[in-house]
Amino acid sequence: MQAWPHFPDEETEDAWPRSPCRGKVLSTLPPRRFVPLHGGLATEPWPENATLYQQLRGEQILLSDNAASLAVQAFLQMCNLPVKVVCRANAEYMSPSGKVPFIHVGNQVVSELGPIVQFVKAKGHSLSDGLDEVQKAEMKAYMELVNNMLLTAELYLQWCDEATAGEITHARYGSPYPWPLNHILAYQKQWEVKRKMKAIGWGNKTLDQVLEDVDQCCQALSQRLGTQPYFFNKQPTELDALVFGHLYTILTTQLTSDELSEKVKNYSNLLAFCRRIEQHYFEDRGKGRLS
Amino acid sequence: MAAPLELSCWGGGWGLPSVHSESLVVMAYAKFSGAPLKVNVIDNTWRGPRGDVPILTTEDGIVSQPAKILNFLRKQKYNADCELSAKQGADTLAYIALLEEKLLPAVLHTFWVENDNYFTVTKPWFASRIPFPLSLILPGRMSRGALNRILLTRGEPPLYHIQEVEAQIYRDAKECLNLLSNRLGTSQFFFGDTPSTLDAYVFGFLAPLYKVRFPKVHLQEHLKQLSNLCRLCDDILGSYFRHGPMGISPAGPEMIDVNLRKLTQLVNKESNLIEKVAFLHHCFPMDDNLRQSPQLLPRKLPTLKLTPAEEENNSLQRLSP
Repeated sequence: MQAWPHFPDEETEDAWPRSPCRGKVLSTLPPRRFVPLHGGLATEPWPENATLYQQLRGEQILLSDNAASLAVQAFLQMCNLPVKVVCRANAEYMSPSGKVPFIHVGNQVVSELGPIVQFVKAKGHSLSDGLDEVQKAEMKAYMELVNNMLLTAELYLQWCDEATAGEITHARYGSPYPWPLNHILAYQKQWEVKRKMKAIGWGNKTLDQVLEDVDQCCQALSQRLGTQPYFFNKQPTELDALVFGHLYTILTTQLTSDELSEKVKNYSNLLAFCRRIEQHYFEDRGKGRLS
Repeated sequence: MAAPLELSCWGGGWGLPSVHSESLVVMAYAKFSGAPLKVNVIDNTWRGPRGDVPILTTEDGIVSQPAKILNFLRKQKYNADCELSAKQGADTLAYIALLEEKLLPAVLHTFWVENDNYFTVTKPWFASRIPFPLSLILPGRMSRGALNRILLTRGEPPLYHIQEVEAQIYRDAKECLNLLSNRLGTSQFFFGDTPSTLDAYVFGFLAPLYKVRFPKVHLQEHLKQLSNLCRLCDDILGSYFRHGPMGISPAGPEMIDVNLRKLTQLVNKESNLIEKVAFLHHCFPMDDNLRQSPQLLPRKLPTLKLTPAEEENNSLQRLSP
């Protein structure tokens, strides 16, 4: 097994990251503007027991799912909303849309970063309120770029590259299940992903072309970031959370070869960006995680 | 260039050089960057490739997808992006991703999946350009491919029903159009006064939606409300595709067309309605050549862009014999 980023409370279901002021969180949040929706369900304040579900950190979760989960956690941290991370082997099946991560807040279940951002906005917290129309358009465009290129490249690398798929992905994906279910589920998922790749035109791409696309994407992100601390200058937005989730996971995950993380390491401002967010929002997890 | 570059793509209709989005993107980029492309329209004969269109045939081989074709043209020094800054280049990539994720499913749905549109417009048009008996098979295959793409990228496993995703993709497409319109604002092209790759992509995706006449049109109506995007399409059509995709120009009133082009650009800032209409009636009967041009007639009614401002009276009077 390859070494995943080791988080101290891997086996327990403690909250990661631990917010220092848990008990006082409600009183320190700014006054909320409630937007009533669906008979007022959204006007409830953010509860203490909000949970985020993902797959098992140590043995099961894959690169792309880990990136998505980390992006949501970063986003919620940036909004100052506490959430408890719970790892379950069947998180993918529990999710309403089939994708992880999903959050369980009050009596609502929302999955994936896009809907979670809208849900949080309906509760009155938003990171992108200060942006004007053109900047919002840019932010959405860059989020699509990350989803289109980085996420698809991660999926390609995990499932369509024979070396990685055989050595790492199949073993991890089916690990909670007994034989022969582990093989069946892994092959089924691989078939689904390959179908999707073929439909969007990535079916004939070679690994080198995919890595070149990743390089182009990172170059675009690096040029957009420039020397600013965050993508839209002083305040982080959901774009920062998404980019951090993907880049941090790529940098800290060991695969059969280091080519993917090498592509990201070429851009020093992206490395500094990840380090900055890690230090600022996940402080008690230890510094120097990025090598 | 030793041998000319040849592009095989689907033909045009409704005032467009091509009805197929990807072919249009490549043609527009070639015009913007000045690449000499010989365009071969796919027709009813058995010659020419049919799958994976557009295809660029060079002396070294075949290049097939639009992104790769554009990269190839850039390597041959036909670069429409040379004036862009690094950040603008990054923005281009991001907006293209936005188009592909948000707008493309709805465009594919409008053309290939929506039953009314598909059976009355798309299928007959494509079938007439494919030789029998392939014309029975290929449109169906393209339609299934489009449906597949929409479901696999937007549908939720394991159900994969089109009705669940229809509402969502149209909502996303309308939002995407609004975002593009906000980004374009009042400038002529996305990055200043010269068109670039992003303009080619936006034109390629929007122009068929804008021009082709469909029975079920709600996305088209939404697009028509965003006047700056419509103006962008019309500008590009008027300036770069006036003479048809082959680059053949009518011998004769070249000067007139140049003046007319400058005129339309100036007129966009002018807004005197009555003078425009009166002058329009005055100026069109004079020159038959102008009237025959297909771009002018549809533009006469809705946008009134051809009508000049008062200052330009002199130059137009010089044109009429």
